[in-house]
Amino acid sequence: MMNYFPDEVIEHIFDYVVSHSDRNALSLVCKSWYRIERCTRQRVFIGNCYSITPERLIQRFPGLKSLTLKGKPHFADFSLVPYDWGGFVHPWVEALAKSRVGLEELRLKRMVVSDESLELLSRSFTHFKSLVLVSCEGFSTDGLAAIAANCRFLRELDLQENEVEDHKGQWLSCFPDNCTSLVSLNFACLKGEVSLGALERFVARSPNLKSLKLNRSVPVDALQRIMMRAPQLSDLGIGSLVHDPESEAYIKLKNTILKCKSITSLSGFLEVAPHCLAAIYPICPNLTSLNLSYAAGIQGSALVKLIHHCVKLQRLWIMDCIGDKGLGVVATTCKDLQELRVFPSVPFGDPAAVTEKGLVAISMGCPKLHSLLYFCHQMTNAALITVAKNCPNFIRFRLCILDATKPDPDTMQPLDEGFGAIVQSCRRLRRLSLSGKLTDQVFLYIGMYAEKLEMLSIAFAGDGDKGMLYVLNGCKKLRKLEIRDCPFGDMALLTDVGKYETMRSLWMSSCEVTVGACKLLAKKMPRLNVEIFNENEQEDCSLEDGQKVEKMYLYRTLAGKRKDAPEYVWTL
Amino acid sequence: MFDAAMAVVKPEMKSYIWLQTVDGSIQQVEEEVAMFCPMICQEVLQTGLGSSKTYAISLPQRVNPAMLGLILDYCRFHQVPGHSNKERKTFDEKFIRMDTKKLCELTSAADSLQLKPLVDLTSRALARIIEGKTPEEIRETFHLPDDLTEDLCQEEKLEPLRNITDDPRIRLLNRLYARKRKELKERKKLKDVEVEEEPKDERSVEDLLSFINGADGDIKGTRANKNKKKNRRRKDHAKDISSENTNENDKELNPLPSAYHDVNFDNALEASASKHSRTQNLPAINFSPKFEFIDGDVDDDLDPAMKEELDREVEDFARRLNSDWPERMQILSLGQDRRLVPISMNSNGSTHLYTGFDQR
Repeated sequence: MMNYFPDEVIEHIFDYVVSHSDRNALSLVCKSWYRIERCTRQRVFIGNCYSITPERLIQRFPGLKSLTLKGKPHFADFSLVPYDWGGFVHPWVEALAKSRVGLEELRLKRMVVSDESLELLSRSFTHFKSLVLVSCEGFSTDGLAAIAANCRFLRELDLQENEVEDHKGQWLSCFPDNCTSLVSLNFACLKGEVSLGALERFVARSPNLKSLKLNRSVPVDALQRIMMRAPQLSDLGIGSLVHDPESEAYIKLKNTILKCKSITSLSGFLEVAPHCLAAIYPICPNLTSLNLSYAAGIQGSALVKLIHHCVKLQRLWIMDCIGDKGLGVVATTCKDLQELRVFPSVPFGDPAAVTEKGLVAISMGCPKLHSLLYFCHQMTNAALITVAKNCPNFIRFRLCILDATKPDPDTMQPLDEGFGAIVQSCRRLRRLSLSGKLTDQVFLYIGMYAEKLEMLSIAFAGDGDKGMLYVLNGCKKLRKLEIRDCPFGDMALLTDVGKYETMRSLWMSSCEVTVGACKLLAKKMPRLNVEIFNENEQEDCSLEDGQKVEKMYLYRTLAGKRKDAPEYVWTL
Repeated sequence: MFDAAMAVVKPEMKSYIWLQTVDGSIQQVEEEVAMFCPMICQEVLQTGLGSSKTYAISLPQRVNPAMLGLILDYCRFHQVPGHSNKERKTFDEKFIRMDTKKLCELTSAADSLQLKPLVDLTSRALARIIEGKTPEEIRETFHLPDDLTEDLCQEEKLEPLRNITDDPRIRLLNRLYARKRKELKERKKLKDVEVEEEPKDERSVEDLLSFINGADGDIKGTRANKNKKKNRRRKDHAKDISSENTNENDKELNPLPSAYHDVNFDNALEASASKHSRTQNLPAINFSPKFEFIDGDVDDDLDPAMKEELDREVEDFARRLNSDWPERMQILSLGQDRRLVPISMNSNGSTHLYTGFDQR
């Protein structure tokens, strides 16, 4: 039917296909679609920066405008990946600059970004608009100054959870006076002072600014002036809300907030005095997103009182100091809730914080919930079964029991049946994180029911090799598998090696895998890079085959062995 | 008299445009409805046609009477001012409820009439049909050919063996591969003479076999035994790999995935073996890239001039091969399991090749 279409019509149809996976499917249909898709694709997602070389990417998609890249393995967030493992963005920026691709957007996650890279980026692409850095490291405010100074069409500068060297607060002053294009600015993760005057002038001349997230150095009086000049803001991150409630600045802030009608997303509160929270009550009824995961100063009754005002929330990130009772309030107040994340407020969790009771309350009160990240101290099978019954629409279910091998405290049984109920009931589950005491039975359930599962995290679970085999055999759509401290060995690793070429990556640490098995795997599958981290024995130049591998990371690649691996990383 | 008749024409009388579809049928359409199509509007203004049945506007071939009817329904509704956006949206949603085949025809027809709003509407609808489908499902829905992986597989099985030890026999085999690839490319250009090409293919296979069997005579009995041992060792995965092999592995800088051509080459041999009775000779020849000749045992009987020419050819071939590399990047595009759709082919051997490929 489509054979007689001119290319221009097919291109037009493709313009409406926006998701990465759908575009990928288009390119595999037939030769002409491959060619048309290649010429029209502007946005590319690369889940592992070592899976392909930048040169190949540019050759394949000459019309590239927007690139999303990921670097280090996910377990870098838990300090399991050494600092200098890799994930450098500079070769990519260099190649893109050299090829004169018209890059406009760059999104990076867990990558090493240098000031040199940011400088080159800022000078190489005339219409560069958008820079999003999530969990990146290696750069300083000098790099940000280059971006500010040289990217004259910048619309988005979004810095989330990065480690940034803060040299001075002058980088904001580097935005030229005629820069009025900014829509989104987020520097909440910066540690140092910023030039408040420059910030206020910048906000004043940015009529399209919708999202602004401040760091803790911006005081209440500056916040008030900013909000007064930018009433169009819809997404606000408050860095600091500490002031005398009787002061003129605070009263002014309250009055300014009363006039704000457009804010729907609120975050930050990096420093906050609970008695100042009343100032923001007027905007709470309109909020659909609230992120208090860094608001350590808001606890107990103040937190509960705040949430009472947020009746339209769809997205809530909080700390576990809210407690089960607080979650009960969330359940009765936030009927539209779709995403909930509960983070630990102290490193190993507060035993009196949230438990299975809070989660059950949420599942009863928020039937639209489909994304969960829940740090808690204990969980029961009965609770998980209830949650599975109440919320069958989960796409992401990440349960992190801080005592990683804790069984059901009511029955002392493993949590197999609970997680089994989750995967059996939630048929659209794409991401799952397991914790607590678990046997191979849970993997049998996962392999049997989790048909759409793409990412699985496992820790301290299973009895032997069978568990891993159930997962590899059963989860046809699996892309990322992360395993730590599980008794999976060589047989599990080597039984279904072809599977790894259909996956993005596999991480195994503190398991029963040996060096010999990894060598065998690497030899058998040349298009996989099998990396062994030999951090403790840098002196020892040889690895014995029978030796257990402490950390192993394998990923499929068209680029071959990487050249930037540090000494302790052996690519077999 | 003519002027007098014109003077008495009532102002309420509508103007009409005459349109003719490719099948020859002619119909009369209200002017404001027809002129809503940019292509028709241009034609009227530029050529003056359309004012009578005799001078009807000929529409593009892609517009058949059924599609024209649908398009005119769309124009009739949207050219009237005063409809609210909601009403227009409701009309559009009902309008595009049709089967995929008709939707494609409508998109094509609307495009030829340059009716952009309708092309946008139908394109968006087709995009929604595409979303969430696998490549196989998309092919099935739109009756598209499965011509992407087929050629890719044919080309990949002819990848050159790695010639680490500069073995003249491997080099010669690579030349034969290169010739085969060239023939494949020519065949793509000359599909009409496909039958004529087949005899050449057979000769190439015979060349391969004669080369292999010819090489067999050069191998002494002692080395034959060594080869057999290495063959067994290569297939036995449970055996430990020696540290020497490990170092060797680290040093190898191979731009091509060796397992790829190892598998394909083995399958090629098996396919050939199924056709010829001289099977017993094949195991004696080991083309593993790790196979090493003892220094001094390599009898390089090529003269320097020919050797230089061969090197140049191999280099040209490698360069040409690398230019095809971007096509392999589609693996990166795989958002799901990579499966090769089994293709029914005349030759059993070819089918077998796919089976081997698919097992990886």
